[in-house]
Parts: sequence; structure tokens; C-alpha cells
Amino acid sequence: MELFQQQLPIVIHSLNIGFLQTLKLFFVTLIGAIPLGLVIAFGSMSRFKPLSALSRTFVWIIRGTPLMIQLLIIYYFPGLVLNNNIWGSGETGRFLASAISFIINYACYFSEIYRGGIQGVPNGQNEAGLVLGMTRRQIFFKVTLLQMIKRIVPPMSNEIITLVKDTSLARIIALQEIIWAGQAFMKGSQGISGAIWPLFFTAIYYLICNGVLTVLLGRLERRLDYFR
Amino acid sequence: MKKVTALLLALVMCLSLASCGGSKSADAQEAPASAATDLQNVQSKGTLVVGITDFEPMDYKDENGNWIGFDADLATAFAESLGVSVEFAEINWDNKILELDGGSIDCIWNGMTLTDEVTSAASCSNPYMRNAQVVVLPADKAEEYADIESMADLTFAVESGSAGEEAVSELGYATTPVTAQADALMEVAAGTSDAAVIDLLMAYAMVGEGTSYDNLTYTITLNEEQYGVAFRKDSDLTAALNDFFAAQYADGSLDALAETYGLAGSVIPQ
Repeated sequence: MELFQQQLPIVIHSLNIGFLQTLKLFFVTLIGAIPLGLVIAFGSMSRFKPLSALSRTFVWIIRGTPLMIQLLIIYYFPGLVLNNNIWGSGETGRFLASAISFIINYACYFSEIYRGGIQGVPNGQNEAGLVLGMTRRQIFFKVTLLQMIKRIVPPMSNEIITLVKDTSLARIIALQEIIWAGQAFMKGSQGISGAIWPLFFTAIYYLICNGVLTVLLGRLERRLDYFR
Repeated sequence: MKKVTALLLALVMCLSLASCGGSKSADAQEAPASAATDLQNVQSKGTLVVGITDFEPMDYKDENGNWIGFDADLATAFAESLGVSVEFAEINWDNKILELDGGSIDCIWNGMTLTDEVTSAASCSNPYMRNAQVVVLPADKAEEYADIESMADLTFAVESGSAGEEAVSELGYATTPVTAQADALMEVAAGTSDAAVIDLLMAYAMVGEGTSYDNLTYTITLNEEQYGVAFRKDSDLTAALNDFFAAQYADGSLDALAETYGLAGSVIPQ
């Protein structure tokens, strides 16, 4: 017990640093993937066939391969195959490569959710808009968009919560997020070695974070209720 | 349907063309890259990037967050002798060769056992330190399994790609590969594997009293092995490091450093 009390502050400090990295990756991914997903969704729905085929193929490739492989390819491919390591050698490069992989991956999943949300709005509204002489742009922003947002909140919440936990995959390219920080104590770090509990302790961070997110997203869902 | 097939085929062709183009440009770039040697590249960028993991007593952080340890101190001195500064990058051990070939690190210097896998994939220095692989067992079973023959029915948790895995596979015993030596220990503690094979240096630090594994113990030694440093293939840094090792051994500083980190007697004469 005494040993535990000695170790606790060191472990908490280390896990906090790791969790900061996790949160950073989480927010950067959301900020990048939410708009990029919309672009891909429009691409997939485009009436210009080559464009829609291209974006659907892209979505197929990204959703059809593991994120872990995508991380490895994005981080190592430039240096190994093109002989030009664009990521440099520091932590920043690892973070950037992780962020780009996550943004692309999650944008593809988001794009399909958006597509479902947009196509779920009855076509009659679209026709009504056209009859009233609205442009397609006006119809999207004034009629479809808000209804789509209401429809996509539950599936998006699901993906967002998954994203929090998926960030741990970035440790494959040695991004030092919270699981990495917890595992360091199993092997030995800062004078603590062979300690298993910090790894399992990281679950509490994820739980609290996802608890907060669940409450926030639930509130958002209720506020959008009046669209029914 | 035909259109879709045609589009897909076109895409496949584009991709294969792109990959051809990629390899061609890679070939073209190799010529100027080999003109400047690894040593010149390191000196022109001014840093030697050392790929490590947190591995006491070879590479670990002091209270101020600076990397110290037998290997870390030696790498710092080596970088100084080249006239460059040292930068430590924590890597995922599974990907060490990828990191090295991809150029995100310049060498792997982290108590690395010279196995066939490493020596064939990279240019390795002369061995500088001895180590051994030991079997870790629950303390109450240690007497029952006193020699290696008695362990034939056990399942061994080993770090994937490690010298320990090689040693157990050579014996023909069952192995469960895991991602890290620490995970191998957790397997034994949780009873999901009967025994683990890890580095002696690691067993010192991780098994026994004051750790989460006070009910485990390490018993027999499987095989002796040697530590070395890996550089990219054909790198001229390997020769530079061998010279550096010879000089450090000759003036006694290698032994003195080993003394500091409790590794006296493990240094290999250069």
C-alpha cells in the first residue's frame, strides 16, 4: 500500500501527459474529419459519375483496410519507398502522421453517415424546393442541412466515442498516448518497473472522457428534438 | 455494370502505373543519396537520432526527464565524438528496422541482441556487452522444473521477434508470441502461459520483490548472447562506432560506465 502511494503521483503525472496527447489527437481528428467527411459525401453523391466512382472507391479502400496498416503506411512509406522521410525524427512528425491517418479514416466513416442523413430527408422536400424556385444550394442549406444534422447525431456519437478509444492505435508508430504511458511502467520507467496496474488504470481516463462526451452529445440530441 | 468494370480496371491501371513511377523515382533518388555517406548526412544535419525504448539500465529517464543509462551515455559520447548532438527517439520495437530504413532514426541502440534477423537487415557494430536469456516461472513451480528437459510440456510467452523466441523455438517447445517482454511476464502472472523467456537484464529489474511480479522467479539460462548497435546497411557509421568502442575500451571508460549502471563484468573486450 505504501509502495502504491509512492507510485501513484508519478504514474498519474505520466498518464496525464499521455492523455493530453490522446485528447489532442482526438480533437484534431474531429476538426479535420467532420468537414472532410462532408466533402467526400458530396463526392460520393455527385451526379458526375467518375467523381462519385472515385470517392466511393476511396471510401471502400479506407474502410476496407485496418487503421493500423494505414498508420504504418502513412508514417513509413515516404521514407522506405520514396527515400524521402517527410516526417522528420521528432514527436511532431509522429503526431502529424497519426492525425492525418485518423482524419482520412474517420472522414470516410463520417461521409457515409452524412450520406445516409442527407438521403434520409424525403425527396418531396427537394421537389417542393425546386417548385418554389430555390436553387440546389439554397435547398441544401435552408432545408436539408438542419434535418440531416438531427438525423446524424446518434450515429455520429457512436463514432466519436469509438474515436476516443481508437486513438490508442497510434502507439504502433510510437505516438506516446495514454496506453503507451501506462505500458511503460510494466517494463520499467521512472524507477517503477514491473507494475501492471497503471495500464488498467488508463481505462478510468477513457471512461470519464466518454462519460462527459455521452452527456454532451445527449444534450445536443435533445436540443435538436423540436425538428420532429 | 460494364462501365463500372471498365472504371475499376482503369483505376487498377492508374495505381500500377503510379507504383511503377514511384519505384523509378526512388531509384533515381538513390544515386545522389549514396554519394553522401551516412556519416556525412548525420554531420550535415547536426544530430544523431538514436532509436530507443524505455529499458533500464540501458536507456531510461532520470527525474528531470533526461535520457540516461549505459547505452544513452555511450550514444551521447559517440555523437560528441562525431561533432553532432544526440537526439533520442522512443520507437515501437517491432518496427525498429522500418524506422531505421525509413530514416526517422539513424541507429538502434538499446541493448539490442545481435540475432540473425537484425544482422541480415542492418549493418551492426561489434558486440559490446554480454547478456543471457532466462526462464521466468511462478516461484512455487521453480523446483518442479529445474532443468530445460522438464519444461518440454510448458507453453512459453516470448516477445515476438526476440532472441528469447528464437531460443525456445530451437528447442521445439510451444511459444506464445506477445508484443513486449513485459507482456510475456503478465502472461505468466495471469497464468495464461506457463513460463516466459526474457533478457537477464530485464529479469533483474522486473521480477522479484518490489515489483508486481514478486511471486515469479527466474531460473535457468537458455543461451548467452551479445548486444550490438544497428545502422542502415552499408553505413560508414558502423566502422566509426567500432573505432569509438575500441578507444573507449582501451582507456577504461567502457568498464567505468558499466560499473556506474551495475553492469560490471558484462563488457566485451574490444
